[in-house]
Parts: sequence; structure tokens; C-alpha cells
Amino acid sequence: MIRLIRRADVTAIHSLISIAVAAVLTLVISTIVLFLTAKAPVDALMQLLTYPYQGGTVIVQWSKALNMAAYLGVIGLGLSICYRANVWNIGAEGQFAMGGIGAFGTWLLLGSPTAWWAIPCLIMGGAFAGLLWASIPALLKTQANTNELLTSLMLVYVAAQTLFFVSNGPWQAPVRYSPSQTVFLPESVQLNAIIPGVPTFHMGLPIALGLFVVIALLVLYTPFGYRLKVTETTPRAARFAGYSPRVTVWAVFLLSGAMAGAMGAIYLMGDIGYVTEESNFLRGFGFSAIVVAFLGRLHPVGILLAALLLGYVAGGASWIQANLREDDSIAGFIEVIALMSTLASALFLQYRVQWRGFATQPQENR
Amino acid sequence: MLLKLKEITKTYPGVIANDAVSLELNSGQILALLGENGAGKSTLMKILAGLTQPDQGTIEMQGVDVVIRSPNQSRQLGIGMVQQHFALFDGLSVLDNIALGLPKIARSELRERAMQLATTYGFQLDLDDAVFSLSAGEKQRIEIVRTLLSEPKILILDEPTSVLTPQEADQLFDAIRRLADRGHGIIFISHKLDEVARLCDSAVILRRGRVAGTCDPRGGAQSEMAAMMLGSQLPDRTQRGTRTLGPPQLVIHDAQSTQGDAAIKSLTLHAGEILGIAGVAGNGQDALFALLSGESSMTQERALKWLDQPVGGLDPNARRSQLGWAFVPEERLGHGAVPHLSLTENALLTNLADPTFASNRLIHWSHVTQTAESIATQFDVRHAGLHRQARSLSGGNLQKFVVGRELIKNPTLLIINQPTWGVDMGAARHIRDAINTLAESGGSVIVISQDLDELFELCDTLCVINHGTLSPPRLIDDWTLVELGLAMGGQITETIS
Repeated sequence: MIRLIRRADVTAIHSLISIAVAAVLTLVISTIVLFLTAKAPVDALMQLLTYPYQGGTVIVQWSKALNMAAYLGVIGLGLSICYRANVWNIGAEGQFAMGGIGAFGTWLLLGSPTAWWAIPCLIMGGAFAGLLWASIPALLKTQANTNELLTSLMLVYVAAQTLFFVSNGPWQAPVRYSPSQTVFLPESVQLNAIIPGVPTFHMGLPIALGLFVVIALLVLYTPFGYRLKVTETTPRAARFAGYSPRVTVWAVFLLSGAMAGAMGAIYLMGDIGYVTEESNFLRGFGFSAIVVAFLGRLHPVGILLAALLLGYVAGGASWIQANLREDDSIAGFIEVIALMSTLASALFLQYRVQWRGFATQPQENR
Repeated sequence: MLLKLKEITKTYPGVIANDAVSLELNSGQILALLGENGAGKSTLMKILAGLTQPDQGTIEMQGVDVVIRSPNQSRQLGIGMVQQHFALFDGLSVLDNIALGLPKIARSELRERAMQLATTYGFQLDLDDAVFSLSAGEKQRIEIVRTLLSEPKILILDEPTSVLTPQEADQLFDAIRRLADRGHGIIFISHKLDEVARLCDSAVILRRGRVAGTCDPRGGAQSEMAAMMLGSQLPDRTQRGTRTLGPPQLVIHDAQSTQGDAAIKSLTLHAGEILGIAGVAGNGQDALFALLSGESSMTQERALKWLDQPVGGLDPNARRSQLGWAFVPEERLGHGAVPHLSLTENALLTNLADPTFASNRLIHWSHVTQTAESIATQFDVRHAGLHRQARSLSGGNLQKFVVGRELIKNPTLLIINQPTWGVDMGAARHIRDAINTLAESGGSVIVISQDLDELFELCDTLCVINHGTLSPPRLIDDWTLVELGLAMGGQITETIS
């Protein structure tokens, strides 16, 4: 018989053990699934793990992984702030979409400039649009006590319809473009490639990294971060410390919305160049970022690693699809397995396992 | 005789939880088990449930000596227990929840038996409802039906009315009476004296692990019972000198919380005064504390005056930083301290409005660490490093830390709820001395406690809380045991003061 005994004190060692357990679990289960589903499993596994060195241009392959990791990392960090405050914002996908729309709208409002100074304005416009979108569930939660899980998720679909509306309606480009899209942003207002010939490695990535570092420092070292630490497990102690729950809800929603919105703007300017329908504009960053937040245990360093991992796996999956004709849905599968393993192994962080029989008598609790 | 406990004794390190406790229960009898928190009720029930074994003493069921080694065995012996906290799955239906934990029987048969029980005892219960949609009272009925299905001879209800509305409580009492009429023996654990007087036909009062007395609660024996819960005489106060009090500082007049769960009619607190608030547990002490600390809002800002200024609208941090107040809640882990944060980080918890600890942008960790160190040395907190999590400390040490964190600020007013609850003797001594020192130096203190010895040792004045309402305070020497019992039993009238 197995017993779980609650640990008195959780240290860094326990954290490392539980992460190692999660990594091994993920690898084992993913391998089994790959062997069950793939046509050439050994080859597929090999190439999935080492795809940047499998014949493609190394820098191109790596930059794909980093590009995706940038979006997942920043959005995931924003979401982790919500989750630590027990605010369940799962609408980052919508806030990201509104960021793209807001950035493009800002460009139009500024009179379609071609000068470089439009770039920071568009990022701010995108952040502001994401913030506004996130303020809706915040308002509903604080004023009407609605469940933010539902409202934030539903607003994703409203945002997706808004993408459809603007790209087929008021902002639709002239007929010589493909249908249902806006015009391209001018080259000078796009975030250009840092290394020529590697379009996914663009100026947006260092900007995202900078944003990530600033917010990570905010979370780790400021009074705001302390507020999150207290609110995360003990809302009652947070009120005792003088924190208003209402203010917390607003702060985390607005911050995470702005971060997702800023990334929407960067995506518009760095990766795609125009606003279009949902199916071509949204790649699920906002949803995968939820996984990233929990995979990283809601800690900035963990989130950074989780984003890199998922970015790398997604790159590998599309590589084996292109080269080995394997199903790339393995990426989504690995994402889920990693999340489940992490959540399951979190158990070992809080409890130690005791096998009854050769252990001492369990302690009685009064 | 259904159940007979003889001389049950159970010791835990440092405490005697049950000290030669004996009680008897007949079939058809509703027995109240009364006592303060820590009087030994839960230990006794754990013994009956098979969760722990007594060190000494015997349990006799229907004339046969039994040893209860496990919860399963307890059930087989015919002891059914309805816990205070429900163990139900919200997503499942009522019937599914009832089926869980029972031996496998056919759904239709289970449904029939459950329905039959529900009608017999007057429970309105739709077996197909999802549990999440039910009220606390309905959830409790599920627990009771589930327990009754195993056909217990003895039914133990642990503070069953704490979550119920008065109407639901009435329905529960009807059901309990019917159960007793059909020959079940009922043990009703409570500290609500008026309910015991209405429902039970005998009462056993525990105090500090011992049986303090038994009585017939029917016909208004509330004050008798309260007196037994308190002890046979008022604690000795000869060691304590009288203090001279300063000018009035805190004046409360008709204060009421917005939720309506706490009210203070009139109260004046002088500089250097220690005011005690006595009361049976669960009479609104927490709500009163929240009202005073600013965690809950009050209806009128003017109701609370500090040095003639209305301060009822201030939040906890404003009360701390602008008025110099300090608060120690009852719950150490999760309210007064954050369990998974380090001691150093916890030293910051109530100092956030102090610019020497934190500005808007930065936390001054060197100052926080220094403060944590001073708290630990001055208040003798034994710890294995200030970076260790608060929850790794023993109750007494953590309490010294939490109290020390507030006292080191030399507050103008300290409001402290259950200062020494669950704390060892040494730590309790240390904390009480520190409270006294604060009062000597001119600080005012409000002590909310269920420990009369503690209140009589510390306080200059004393009032009683009952159902969220505070009685007028009186000098501690003016209280008699009878009057205290009356007040705690809810029979206080204005004429007493």
C-alpha cells in the first residue's frame, strides 16, 4: 500500500526531482505513442529530436523554434501572472488577435505612415487593444462576479469574428490582393529579419525577449511579485496584508492582456504583415501559452524553458511531417503529455511517497 | 446501554487530550457533547471512529468490550458519523454520491432504500439532482442518508448546524428526534448552548480533556452548561496588580459590519488597557476581528473613532500605517502568515505600507531580513533558518513569530485573536508577557479568547460576545462566574451592566 506524506518543507531539490520525473515521463510516453502511430518510428523519433541538424539550414530550423518560443513565452508569462492571482484568464488567443487588429488600426489612424517611428506606436497600439479586450472579463468579474473562465474564453471567438469582419469588411484590400485580407504593412513598418534569408528570426524576437525580462523581473523582485506570491495560495492572508482582491483582478487582467496584445502586434509586423481571417492569422499561441504557463510551474524561468521546449517540439513535428510524411499532430500530443506529466509530478513536490510495510508507523495528526 | 466509555485516556506529546473520560449512551437518547475548542471532543470522536486508539480505558458496546482499530470496524460495529465538512463530489448526482463508499448493491435497490429513509425522516431530497446545485443543508442530508444506509445504532453528528440556516437546523432537529424515537443513540457535538437545550436530553461537558460535568440541558440550563465549560471557579487573580489606565483612545459606538455578521454597541478603550472578549467558539469572533482590522467594511465610518477621528473607513494597511494599529488573527497559517513563504518574506506581510520596508517599485530586503532577525531573537523563535518556509515551524514558534512581528512595531493598539491557541506552555507564557509589556508602555490591547484563565490573567476589562454581538464591558473584578455563564449562554440583558 502506498501512502503520501505531506512534506514539511519544500526545497529546490524537490523541485528538480519533480521536473526530472516529468521529463522522463514525457519522453517515455511520447516515444510509446510515436512507436504506435508512426510509419517509421525510429527515424521519426530521431529526426524529431535532432531536426535542426537533419539536412535543412541549421539557423532556419532553430529560428523557427525560437520564433514560436517568443510568442509562447511572453503570452505564457502574462497568463502565469493571472493564474498565480487565481484569476483564470484563458482568453489570451483573443487578446492576441485584438493586438493584431489594434496595431493595424493604429497604423491606419496614424495615416498609414511609412517611417520607422510607426513601429513602437503599433506595438503600443496592439498592447492597448489587448488590454482593452482583457478589461471586459475583468469588469464583468469585479462588477457582476461572472466567471472569468467563461467570459475570457468566449471573447476569443468574438475576437476571431472581428478578424473576419475587418479583413472582409472595412479594411479589405483592393481586388488585386487575395480575398479576405488587409493590405500589407509597408516594408519599413515591418520587423525585418536580423539575419538575411531567415525571415522567422526578426527584430520582434529581441523585443519579445526584452519584454519577457522586464516582466520577469517585475514578477520576481517587486512588491507586485510579492503580492502575487501571497495571493497565489492564501487569498485570506492577502486581504490581511491589505491587498484588495478587486485591484488584483484588474491588474493581472490588464497586464496579461497587454502582453498578449503586444505579441499580436509583433506577429502582425514580423511574421505576417497584414490582418486576415482567423484560420490564417491565429496559430493557437494563446492556448498553447496556457500549457506553457503551467508547464513552467508559473515561474518565469520555468516558463522560458517550457516555451523553448514547445517551440522546439513544434518545429520538429512540422519537420517530420514535411520530410517523412508523418502526422504533425504529435506536437500537440507531446504538449499535452508534458503538461500532464508536469501536473502529476507536482505531487512529488508536496508529498513524499511511503510504502507501507517497511516504513514506520504513520504519524497521527490531531 | 448502547455505548459505554470507561476512563478513556489519550495523550499526545505535550497534551492530555482525553483524561479518564467516561460517558454512557442509551438507545433513543440524544446526548450532547459540549466543550471549547481543544477540550477533547474531536479526539474522543476519532477514537470512536477508529481513527486513533486510546492509551487507556475501554469501550463497551451493548455490554461487550470492543476495540475499534479502523474506520471500517467502527462502521461494522454500528457507529455512523456525519462530519462537519462534507465529502461529496460536486459533479455527481445525489444517488451517485450515496452509492460511493457503500458496498455494491443494485442501483434500483439503493434508490428505493434511500427514498425510504428520506421519507421516514422527512428529508426532501431529489436523488437525481447534481450535488453542486444543492444548499449546505441538502448536502448534509446526503451525508446523513449515506450514513444511515449502513444502519448504524449510534449516530454521531459533529457540529451539524454550523453550516445551516435556522430553518434547515429546525428540519435537522426534527429528523434527529425521529431517529432517536426509532431507537438510535445520538451524539450531538456542538458548542451552541441554546441548540443543545432545545434538542438534547442529556449533556456531557468536557473541559481540558476531562469530564467537567453532566446535566440535563432541557429547560434552560444554558448558564449551568456555560459555567461547566468555563470551570468551577474564576481563575485566581491575586498575582496581578492593578494598572492605571490612560485617557480613552478607541471609542466605538453602534459599529456594524456591512455583511451584518458583527456588531459592537458601545465600547471605550483607554491607553494601557487590555480588554478581553470572552465567548463560546463560533459566536462571531472572526467577524468581530475582521471588523476591527478593517478586513471587512463597516456601515458607518463614524462608528469607529480613534483619538476622536472617525477611522471606520480605513483598510487594514491604513489602520496600520496611519494609526499604528497591529493585528494578530487566530489562524496562523493562511491568514497571519503565508505557509509556503519564508519567514523573511512573512516578516514583510504586515509592513507593506511602511516605506522602510517597501516602496512602489522595490522591496528593501535588507531591512526586511534585519526585522525578521530581530523578531526571531527578541521573541525566541526557534527556527532552522529564516529562509525556511513558515509552515516548517511548530505552532508555538510560528505564533511567537507572528505576534513578534506585530509587537516589534510597538503598536498603539493591538488586536489579537486567540493569542495562545494550540501553543505550548512556554510560548504561551512568552506571548502573554509580551502583551503585558505592551500595555505597561501605554499601548491598548483587545484580546479575543476562549480561554478564561488567559483573559483573567491579562485583562483589565472584559466583555462577552454572543451571536456576533458584544456585551457592554466591565472591570474584570466585577464579573461573577454566574453572570459570565449567563452572558456566554446568550442570556445577557442590559440590566446586568
